[in-house]
Amino acid sequence: MNPVLNIFILFLGGAILTYFAGRINKVLQSLLFLASVLVPAFLFYTQLSIGQSATFSVDGITLNWSLNYFGWLFSLIVLGLGAMAAIYAVSYMKGKQRLGTFYFNFILSIMSMTGILLSQDLISFFIFWEIMTWSSYLMTIYNGNKVQSIGIKYFVFSAIGAYAMLMAIVMVHSITGSFLIKDLINAYPTMQLGMQIWIPVLLLTGFAVKAAMMPLHVWAPGAYSNSPMAYTSVFSGALSKMGVYGMTIVFVTLINKIPQGIWFREVIAWMGGITAVIGTLWAIKQDDAKKLLAYSSVAQLGYIITGIAIGTELALLAGLFLAVMHALFKGTLFMVVGAVEKQTGTTNFTEVSGLIRKMPWTFFAALLSIIALAGIPPLGGFVGKWMLYESLITSNHYLLVIVIFFSSTAAFLYCYKFLFGFFLGQEEKEWSHVKEAPAAMVVPMVILSLLMFVLGTFPGILLSPINNGLQALGYTDSYKNLWETSVILNGWGNHVVLQPILYYIIAIFLFFVVFLTLKGYKNTRYVTTKDISSSGEIPKEDENLTFSENFYQPFFRAVEPVMRRQIDKFYKNLGEGLEALFEFMRRIYTGNGQTYAIYVIAFVVIMLLFGNYLLK
Amino acid sequence: MESVLYNILGAVATFLLAFVVGMIYGGLNRKITARVQNRKGPPFYQNFIDAMKLASKRSAIHHGIMQHFGPAFIMVSSVMSLMVVPVLTHNQWFPNLNFHGDLIFLLYIMVFGPLGMALGAGQTGNPNSAIGVTRGLSLMTGFEIPWVMALVALMIQYHTTSIVDLMNVQIQSGTWLMFSSPFAFIAAVMAMLGMFRYSPFDIVGAPAELASGPISENGGKYLFVMMSAGSVFAFVKLTLYVDLFMGGADNLVILLVKTFVLYLIPVLYSLTTVRYRTEHAIRWFWGWPSFFGLLAILQAVFFK
Amino acid sequence: MVGSPVLFIAIPLLAAFLIPLLGMIWKESVRIVPGLVLAYLLVLSVSLLQHVLAFGPIIEIIAGWKPPIGINLVFSPFSGFLVTLMLFLGLLVWAYSYRFKRNVEYEPALKYFLMLMMLITGSVGMTLTGDIFNMFVFIEITSISAYGLTSYYKERNSAEASFKYILLGSLASTFLLLAIMIIYSQLGTLNMADIATKMHLMKPGYKVASLIFFITALGIEAEIFPLNGWAPDAYAEAPGPVGAAFAGIVVKAAVYAVIRVIYTLFDLPGAYQFLIVIGIITMVIAETAAIRQEKLKRMLAYSSIGQMGLVLIAFGFGTKEGIYAALFIMFNHAIIKSLLFFSGSYLAYNSTEKNIADVSGMAKHLPLTSLLFALGAFAIIGLPPFAGFWSKLAVLTAAADSSLWLIIALVLAVSVVELVYYLRVVNRVYFFKKEEDMEPQKPTVNAMIVMLILGAIILLVGFYPDSVTGLLHKASSDLMDKSQYIQHVLSAR
Repeated sequence: MNPVLNIFILFLGGAILTYFAGRINKVLQSLLFLASVLVPAFLFYTQLSIGQSATFSVDGITLNWSLNYFGWLFSLIVLGLGAMAAIYAVSYMKGKQRLGTFYFNFILSIMSMTGILLSQDLISFFIFWEIMTWSSYLMTIYNGNKVQSIGIKYFVFSAIGAYAMLMAIVMVHSITGSFLIKDLINAYPTMQLGMQIWIPVLLLTGFAVKAAMMPLHVWAPGAYSNSPMAYTSVFSGALSKMGVYGMTIVFVTLINKIPQGIWFREVIAWMGGITAVIGTLWAIKQDDAKKLLAYSSVAQLGYIITGIAIGTELALLAGLFLAVMHALFKGTLFMVVGAVEKQTGTTNFTEVSGLIRKMPWTFFAALLSIIALAGIPPLGGFVGKWMLYESLITSNHYLLVIVIFFSSTAAFLYCYKFLFGFFLGQEEKEWSHVKEAPAAMVVPMVILSLLMFVLGTFPGILLSPINNGLQALGYTDSYKNLWETSVILNGWGNHVVLQPILYYIIAIFLFFVVFLTLKGYKNTRYVTTKDISSSGEIPKEDENLTFSENFYQPFFRAVEPVMRRQIDKFYKNLGEGLEALFEFMRRIYTGNGQTYAIYVIAFVVIMLLFGNYLLK
Repeated sequence: MESVLYNILGAVATFLLAFVVGMIYGGLNRKITARVQNRKGPPFYQNFIDAMKLASKRSAIHHGIMQHFGPAFIMVSSVMSLMVVPVLTHNQWFPNLNFHGDLIFLLYIMVFGPLGMALGAGQTGNPNSAIGVTRGLSLMTGFEIPWVMALVALMIQYHTTSIVDLMNVQIQSGTWLMFSSPFAFIAAVMAMLGMFRYSPFDIVGAPAELASGPISENGGKYLFVMMSAGSVFAFVKLTLYVDLFMGGADNLVILLVKTFVLYLIPVLYSLTTVRYRTEHAIRWFWGWPSFFGLLAILQAVFFK
Repeated sequence: MVGSPVLFIAIPLLAAFLIPLLGMIWKESVRIVPGLVLAYLLVLSVSLLQHVLAFGPIIEIIAGWKPPIGINLVFSPFSGFLVTLMLFLGLLVWAYSYRFKRNVEYEPALKYFLMLMMLITGSVGMTLTGDIFNMFVFIEITSISAYGLTSYYKERNSAEASFKYILLGSLASTFLLLAIMIIYSQLGTLNMADIATKMHLMKPGYKVASLIFFITALGIEAEIFPLNGWAPDAYAEAPGPVGAAFAGIVVKAAVYAVIRVIYTLFDLPGAYQFLIVIGIITMVIAETAAIRQEKLKRMLAYSSIGQMGLVLIAFGFGTKEGIYAALFIMFNHAIIKSLLFFSGSYLAYNSTEKNIADVSGMAKHLPLTSLLFALGAFAIIGLPPFAGFWSKLAVLTAAADSSLWLIIALVLAVSVVELVYYLRVVNRVYFFKKEEDMEPQKPTVNAMIVMLILGAIILLVGFYPDSVTGLLHKASSDLMDKSQYIQHVLSAR
């Protein structure tokens, strides 16, 4: 049968079977889960070729699925990260309750994302988009905490975005008569101006909610921190990229084709920049690792959105490269937090610290991911940031460069806070029993981290599929004038040759490490963190010297005016206002029978008076 | 093969030059400070003596592997920055790797070191180190803004992000960028005050308050490596400024003269000011220096 | 063919009179006989529908008097579809309430099943008839059964709800009689097809007035704002399956009547605009009122009213796509709302107040019921891949084809409100702690089977809507075609 349909059936069938297998045997359930995620992924890459399509006809609408290069690029994130997260999840969720629900929703999320990437018509796109929304919603409320405030807030925002998209879809249908994306792209340049503006605005609203762009990002911190960490790596790594996927398509195929597109691009680019700054500032403030990473995700997505909105080739390459890198390192970081949570029971920096010697592999993965997040060479994040800055400068967005750069510098603060808070700092006695996380959790983390190393030195490996994807959307080939396998260039002829840099860095690093080891390390003994220089007063064993409260107090004193306003408060007030309005509506039904009778009579009278105008 | 060997020899020679010059400048700083404060002060080669003393000491204890890596990270950062900044133009004895990277790469590799050292300091568990690191990182968000504004202004004005190209522009037009992009120069110099972490921005390693902050747990060889890295880094920054704003240098003497003149700015300024608190320092950097940076960008946009 | 349309009226009426007598002989027959009757009628309806889809409408003449003098029944794809739906739901309601209040002596059960059967008969008759006075008769039959069923529990609240219903229902009857009188005095006929041909002869003032009276009267039953004050109380106080019957059967018949009046009888194009406007007002007010409700059944009632508003909007487009969308929504709503009422009754079974807070934590004790309730909630919000999505898509597509952007935006905004209040309840069921003194009641086997059937239909239609869309298309084109209707009726023999 058609491989596309095979993949969907395997996913769906696997999900249902896994849900019910829990009654029989837990091990069987875990194995079925892994099979349901890995087998379709394997089929995807081996059986499915570019251009192969499948259709399914319902209700007069033909659902159309096929794979193009752009979808293939994002499938790397979805299926790659999904597979790693699935392996991680089996170990993370051991012993937890309601496993069946978790596995079911996990598989459905992966399936719906794959479906989105394969969809060539808008209805199928929307169907999978909604399935993705409600399966991730069920994960957000999985632990049963704060289901009403966080879960429903997430769903409402997602629904607003999705319904905006639905409105655009039916608008498109009324103009072109078909639901195919191809037809939309072809008909777009000749539509009237009102439509040309509204359709992208509505579509972008839908995508911006998922990509957590300001001011539609308020669901993200709660939703990311409330879901189980094994799922959050997929949630933040892959689901948000679906928004990016949609935005890229809208920008490249629609907005860039009309002259008014420049307004869209500027506004969205600045929104991305502001998102980056505000997200970073709030991330620095957090004491809970989950919230910190959640805000950090919002900020990183800001970079990606800026890159895509700018619209030059280099900017698009930068945005998409950063998207893939973000999936890698954010997915790994959430796995790290999950590992710490599983081993210690808490994710709050003020409660746990000093885990580096107890969880070395977790630390290694975290270290590499943080370095990639910060954008420091020789890891992959640097390549993306470099291309982003170059694209901003070469396309004359001078102030935006400063904004993004500020956000990037401030990001160092929360990067350090993350590493210091969990792994460095004082080692307290209450955590001396902590062991390294199980292998099934550590291996995916380490694999993903090492991947960042590779991509940092040979970005061409990733830039090649990105290039193909962009060409599939209609862009010109950028090979050799913007990148080669290990060289990144900008339009002005400046470039960075990455491979020798990596070798030099490793060489120097090893040289000095060897120097220090030979001369310093061998005859030294390890001492605990209580044995520190403290002006003669020797700290006792149970004295608490951990520094984690108010970690960046001077910085916050400096940026205090910016942090006073919260968008969340605005939404809360809006919600309360609406509830008051609804209360008023409710009171129309007074409960008094005579009042209802009066309503009827009043209705008749009004209609009789104005009937001629109303009914003719 | 021969060229690789040649390159490596050149790199080592550059490193030694940077080391020596950096140390001497550090010593001169101490001498000048002392003279201004009406005392004799240590000899200008004092830093070498200190370095040798530190190198000959052995540490008895260590706090773990990150502390061990910390100095190595900062050395990597210093040396890679050195590789990217052209030291002497048109000189065969000091080949540079500048064709491998550009300003943005330099910006990021310069940050790599302090972060690595911060990680190393973190593992010691000393709260003073942690406080020092947080102050240092916060301060960085301060001075990076005018610094990046100045660099962006230069990049816009001359359509390049490569240091070599900016030097060539100066050679071709005959005027230093200090004069053709004055606001950028002013903003960059103000940022430099923060980079050197001399007074008034020395809160990061405030000796009396934080026991020198991030470096408080390091002694012996670790401190030696850090000190050397610091000196090399100082040299790199000065050379970078000379290359960008003062036309580069053809031979060693001119280079030394220009870098020393530039170095006098933070040294003398530090003698006349008191220490700012971190939030004041950050706010100061976002004030006048950023204003000049903004002027620099405006000038670059409108007076291309 | 296993019979003719007149059997839809004759057999239930006969059974209704016989049941008390049979009941005196064998108590169980009170519960069984209605089921048999409904099952037979369902089979009849399905076979007639198949015949009608192939060959065209069946016109049944009563008592030999040919139209336009006599009464006739019209079994067309449109009315046949609705009749089948109503009978199917009626059968399910019967099956669900089979063991209803079993431990009470048989008299209340007798009254319950009797009135239920009359309710269904009245609705079916309303849909089948081709004569407006006949429609009045059937409306009365339906209403009186409904009044009785509302006050079934013999409590203060039920009596009050029933009283409000009677009050407004009487107003409805009055206005309906007024409307019929105007038409008869002006046109001299009571036959719908005949009225349609003669409508252009009526003076505009009279035309508008009679339409207004028709809309008022039928609108009271069809829960149009501001005529639907009785609805929240009635749904909330009636027994659960009766609520499902109201939502799935009675309202559908009333809406059918409204639509038949506007589409077939009258020729005022402004009426379509009016439908859209009144539909929007109904929908918005109902859904926003729903979000503030504390009682479960009242919330479901408001949701029902809102959905009917949406149906009216869809009918108001006046295009074939609009009718198709409206019928699809009616179908989905009947199935899904019934499921919600059925499962909701068990979730709040032992609660006196039937507050939403009382369903907290029921998922642990009633896993399947909660899952079905959640399924119903997801489906009615319109989430793919469940049934409600396709109907919502159809409405929006129809609206877009008529370029009614504001309506699309309003419908979607109201959908967001809808999802908030449904998800709040579902979250409560699953994640909150059970109230201390709430005893969960496991559903009986027959109730479970009914709910599972409904759930299965939702999934089936969700994944493969083509199973019903063909029928819906035929039904919608049938309604659009006024002249066909007239021709078929007037030429019947």
